[in-house]
Amino acid sequence: MQARSRNLPLVIASLLIAHSALAAGYAPEAQAFGGATLNGKATLEGAAPARDKIKMSADPVCLGQHKEPVLSEEVIANNGALQNVLVYVKDGLSGKSFPAPTTPVVINQEGCQYRPHVFGIQVGQPLEIVNSDSTLHNINAQPKVNRRFNIAQPIKGMKTTKAFDKPEVVVPFKCNVHPWMNAYAAVLDHPFFGVTDSNGSFTLSGLPAGTYTLEAWHEKYGTQTQSVTVTEGETKQVNFSFKTK
Amino acid sequence: MNSRKQILGSLIGLGVCGLLGWLLIPFDLALSQNLAPSSKPAPDLAAGKAAYQDNCARCHGLTGAGDGMDAKRMIPMPRKLYEGIFKFRTTASGTPPTDEDLFRTISTGLPGSRMPDFQRLPEEIRWQLVAYVKSLSTVFQEQKPEGVDLGVDPGPAKADLKKGKEVYTQLGCAACHGPQGRGNGPSAPTLVDNWGRPIRAADLTHAWSYRAGSAPTDIMARLMTGIDGTPMPSYADAIPSKQEAWALAYYVQSIQETPRWNRTIEAVKASGALPMAPEDPGWAKAPRTDLRLSSNYYRQGEILPTTVTAISVQALYNEETILFRLTWHDPSENRQAPPDAAALVLVPDRKLKTLVGSLRSWPATAEAPALDLGYWPANEPDKAFFTNTRGFGFTETHAVIDMESIPLESKASYTEGRWTVMIKQPLKHLQREGAIPKKSILIGIAVWDGGNGEQGRRRANSNWIDLVLE
Repeated sequence: MQARSRNLPLVIASLLIAHSALAAGYAPEAQAFGGATLNGKATLEGAAPARDKIKMSADPVCLGQHKEPVLSEEVIANNGALQNVLVYVKDGLSGKSFPAPTTPVVINQEGCQYRPHVFGIQVGQPLEIVNSDSTLHNINAQPKVNRRFNIAQPIKGMKTTKAFDKPEVVVPFKCNVHPWMNAYAAVLDHPFFGVTDSNGSFTLSGLPAGTYTLEAWHEKYGTQTQSVTVTEGETKQVNFSFKTK
Repeated sequence: MNSRKQILGSLIGLGVCGLLGWLLIPFDLALSQNLAPSSKPAPDLAAGKAAYQDNCARCHGLTGAGDGMDAKRMIPMPRKLYEGIFKFRTTASGTPPTDEDLFRTISTGLPGSRMPDFQRLPEEIRWQLVAYVKSLSTVFQEQKPEGVDLGVDPGPAKADLKKGKEVYTQLGCAACHGPQGRGNGPSAPTLVDNWGRPIRAADLTHAWSYRAGSAPTDIMARLMTGIDGTPMPSYADAIPSKQEAWALAYYVQSIQETPRWNRTIEAVKASGALPMAPEDPGWAKAPRTDLRLSSNYYRQGEILPTTVTAISVQALYNEETILFRLTWHDPSENRQAPPDAAALVLVPDRKLKTLVGSLRSWPATAEAPALDLGYWPANEPDKAFFTNTRGFGFTETHAVIDMESIPLESKASYTEGRWTVMIKQPLKHLQREGAIPKKSILIGIAVWDGGNGEQGRRRANSNWIDLVLE
């Protein structure tokens, strides 16, 4: 009897430690389903169109948050490096299932722009929509396959959480009050996606070995696909080149 | 004598019974029409399809693609039913309407749009139309309607209008609807619907233009569900409590202006000089007439909408002059070309009316009768003029006539989405062809919104009505 009662706190403690270790380890985005990595760059061939200045005069709250002129985000190309290209695995993962992460993807309305402008999210993963501006925004999501919504966020700090239950590339978001505001979300049933940064670079990591079709999507220049095969733990480079039409 | 009295008495008695019967029978029918729909019949898609083809396909198209043969003549265009996006529901944003929502739309129509009411169809048929419309879109299989809770109507006595006004400001309604609800908010000019077509924010002061009802319950439904397919979002998560939402709904009701639709404009006689100031108390005795305005302007087979949908008119006259006070809502103030403008169109000889046709279509031909025009343009607001014209100056690119014109005294102001225009005319303009003061003259009113590119024939028109000098 006495031996058991002395051991009990130890058992409980170790159970707790084990549980928290498991809990800490289970961060779905960090979880690697494999060890392969695909990275590369998206580039734009030809002269990028000049970025139009956005007129925010209709809303003084928007205007007041910017000292510099605000430029359209439709095409952001720095010396040929194309930003905001969504790269994802389109094919090759059949038979595998990937649980939806519980940590939300956050889309923020800040300075009367959506941050981020282009992003990926998993089926069933929460999307937290935040208004960081002291003005009315409405989030008008117009997917074709998922459920639409159009909700108002008039108060700074308001948060609304939504989720999409079907894969869809892409779901457009717009604000009707501020017509220059646009965002695009790719809803995928796996975590292998990325968006190119200001260097045009993307990385998809944690891939199992296999042959995949990769697709790169840009809001103006459309899509490109490439096929790539990786072995376990291999790192391979895949580049996408878009042309101005 | 007695028998005559008896006969008279029985006749009267019969008459009263007959009268009572006549009064009561339609009352019963009326009751049964107004009752909440009784049990829905089991869906019979064949019957629904037949009724749809007879009543609906003409606008909505055979497959619900919004491509019926009349569709291009309408703004807003008939709904593409196959897409499954419905504006007026009691369900959460992005979810399909309930059967009752569809039944209501079919039964009462959408006033202000070209969707008529189908009261003439028996209830059973209307339910079959509901079932058939649902079969046109997969959204009804993919999603369930999610009803929204509207809370409890506090009733007009307990409505907190002051709070409602605060909520109106807090929620940013003015961004689109404008501070006075006239649809002139700063974001109003750039609004587009889900299909990228320009769309207007409702003029909340014009209750008659609300499509699905203007009572506080209806306003609550729009707030909580949003109007799918349009910029109007759902405020279900944004309004902290249902009480505040009801306060807002009652506030919106309180800014509705009661129209006085009338078949005549009653000009009242005043002594002495007529008041050019629109706020002059002398206007209190001039009854107001509100007129609906519309247009049938097509370009390449498609109708182009005009902005202004109603105008208020008052008139005062003395021995020599008649002064018109016009007010209308226009979300944009356009003082450059093409300018906002208004015209009082007089038919000097009533017998010409059949030759003229409607003001909407004038001039229909090169031989159309010439009409008298008192024209006011916003680019020269104190330089209204009077002229007689066949309207040939009214081509698409020219609004002004190169004919002999007589200046008229005029004055105008624009505040918060509303024009107020005073136009003074010599009374003799109304007394053509030597007739000693005519008591009633045929008149029509046309309005142009320069901001919408309206010039010439592209304008909003009233019907012909009588201007009566009281």
